[in-house]
Amino acid sequence: MDPIFLGISVVNGIVVGGLYGAIAIGLSLIFGVMRVINFAHGSFLMVGLFIPYWLWQLFKINPYVSVLVAAPALFVLGYAIQAILIAPLYKRERAMVLEPISALMLTAGVGLIMDNVAFMIFGPDFRGVTLDFASKAFWIGETLNINYTRFTAFLVSLALTALLSLFLVRTDLGRAIRSTAQNRDAAALCGINVMRIYNVTFGLGCAVLGVVGCLMIPFYPVSPSIGLAFGIRSFITVVLGGIGSIPGCILGGLVLGIVESVAAQFVTATSASIFSFVIFILVLFFRPTGLLGMKV
Amino acid sequence: MTLVATSVAAVLFLALPLAVTDEYYLHVFVGILYFAYMASAWNIVCGYTGQLSLGHSALSGIGGYISTLLLINAGLTPWIGMFIGAVCATGVGVLVGWPCFRLRGPYFALTTIAFAEILRIWTENTEEIFGVELRGAQGLSVPLKGHAPALFQFDGKVPYYYIIIAMLVGVMAITWWMERSRMGFYLKAIRADQDGAEALGVNSTRYLLSAMAVSSFLTALGGSYYAQYFRYINPERNMGLDLSIELALMGIVGGQGTVLGPVLGAFLLTPAGEITRATLGGKFPGLHLVIYGLVLILAMLFLPKGLIQPIRRLLGRKSAASRESEPAAA
Repeated sequence: MDPIFLGISVVNGIVVGGLYGAIAIGLSLIFGVMRVINFAHGSFLMVGLFIPYWLWQLFKINPYVSVLVAAPALFVLGYAIQAILIAPLYKRERAMVLEPISALMLTAGVGLIMDNVAFMIFGPDFRGVTLDFASKAFWIGETLNINYTRFTAFLVSLALTALLSLFLVRTDLGRAIRSTAQNRDAAALCGINVMRIYNVTFGLGCAVLGVVGCLMIPFYPVSPSIGLAFGIRSFITVVLGGIGSIPGCILGGLVLGIVESVAAQFVTATSASIFSFVIFILVLFFRPTGLLGMKV
Repeated sequence: MTLVATSVAAVLFLALPLAVTDEYYLHVFVGILYFAYMASAWNIVCGYTGQLSLGHSALSGIGGYISTLLLINAGLTPWIGMFIGAVCATGVGVLVGWPCFRLRGPYFALTTIAFAEILRIWTENTEEIFGVELRGAQGLSVPLKGHAPALFQFDGKVPYYYIIIAMLVGVMAITWWMERSRMGFYLKAIRADQDGAEALGVNSTRYLLSAMAVSSFLTALGGSYYAQYFRYINPERNMGLDLSIELALMGIVGGQGTVLGPVLGAFLLTPAGEITRATLGGKFPGLHLVIYGLVLILAMLFLPKGLIQPIRRLLGRKSAASRESEPAAA
């Protein structure tokens, strides 16, 4: 293996990995607080990609400006789905805390509907946004070039993660979210409206995907079926990094991105995903709490 | 009462091909019974232990591919090949289940989904491996041998109908027996409280793995049956997430953790899906999946224990744990 190509693929892996991390944050946050695996996670990302696509297609709005629409829209969508569909499960299961399987199946139903409604409306085509900016890249040395849109996505992903962590640590709402995650009964005793916190958390987890969608659409065409692939990458990312840990997401995303990108130099890109699954199984075996996770 | 109902059902099902001579309707019945079989196999691990698998399609795909590849490349009859495939799928199922069952939390669900999707994508993009042709997304066709019972090929659909009936009765008998065995009680204890069961000396990992092994074996046999019946197998249909979700949906809507629940689910949902696809599928290609999604949401919200529960109550029986099981209610 040529060390230069290895270097290039590692750098590419890091750039993509940061984005994978940002995609997984919502999943991890929602699980950490609510103990719910949002199976529709990838489908929310699909919606997050379609919003900037249509805003650009219809009104020529720059995708980076569309964040102002996409993030609130996904917040509202997530908030509504949690408040209308998932909340009744909590009320029913209040007495005994069950495995979150019923919530997982419920969100699987939501994802199935979102994917196939999008498919019925938009058809199976891949649609992308072409910006002048998107074809430009900067060079590091002679051989290594990094595309501007991807690099922007990487930087904003890191910034977003930092902001979200800061929000959780510093603000009152963030403290309320964290205390609900630690012990929802104690939080309720302290006057926190737990159901509202759940709604806000689910909304936040989805809003992140609105931001990520706007970052991705300049270089990643959207189709109604892309959700599942990103949902599964997010599952792997979250388990690698430690389920419920926000910095763990970025670390898990970086590991996944580098593994995919380096392995793709040796075998086909689709066979490379088998390597990420092997790492996933190894982590489950030897460090089930994930690389940065704490004991749940 | 139970005995009478069972005998009536048995006679009805055995005599059905005499009354239904139209190939299409017989085909629909084979489809219903196939899904009833697959959902029952899924139910053995997921219904009884509460560990959700959304990756059972991978096990069906492994079974179907191995038996078909053995027939194409080695001329081995699927009657033997399906058991070789089932043994391989059992090994895979246990390997995937093992790390997850030692942990608490949603790891099993996540791992099975990831495993099935990665296997599907890999198969779709692999034309050949170690000199064996997989033909990627095109899928494999089973070579036609005419009427060759020794090679699992028959004229007409009637023999296939009786085979799937026998398989369904088999899986129901296994489930019925398991429910009443020591293992069944252990599984129920694990489902209710895994740590509590451990504290009472139940080796939960071992029993969860046993259930997974049985379920994987039976699911792979079903996958082989499907491949031989349609004489065609492809990654999308035989390994895809849609199949896994359909199985889970039937198990849940019917009533997971019961002998009859998944069968009931299959008898309700398979015709519903078939009708939607046949009447509106051309106009709205994703519609039947939207309907499945809606049914899933409604079932989770309003009937978490499945339709079997209100039916049981109507019949005056109290719960899934009641001593009797009535295979004729479906």
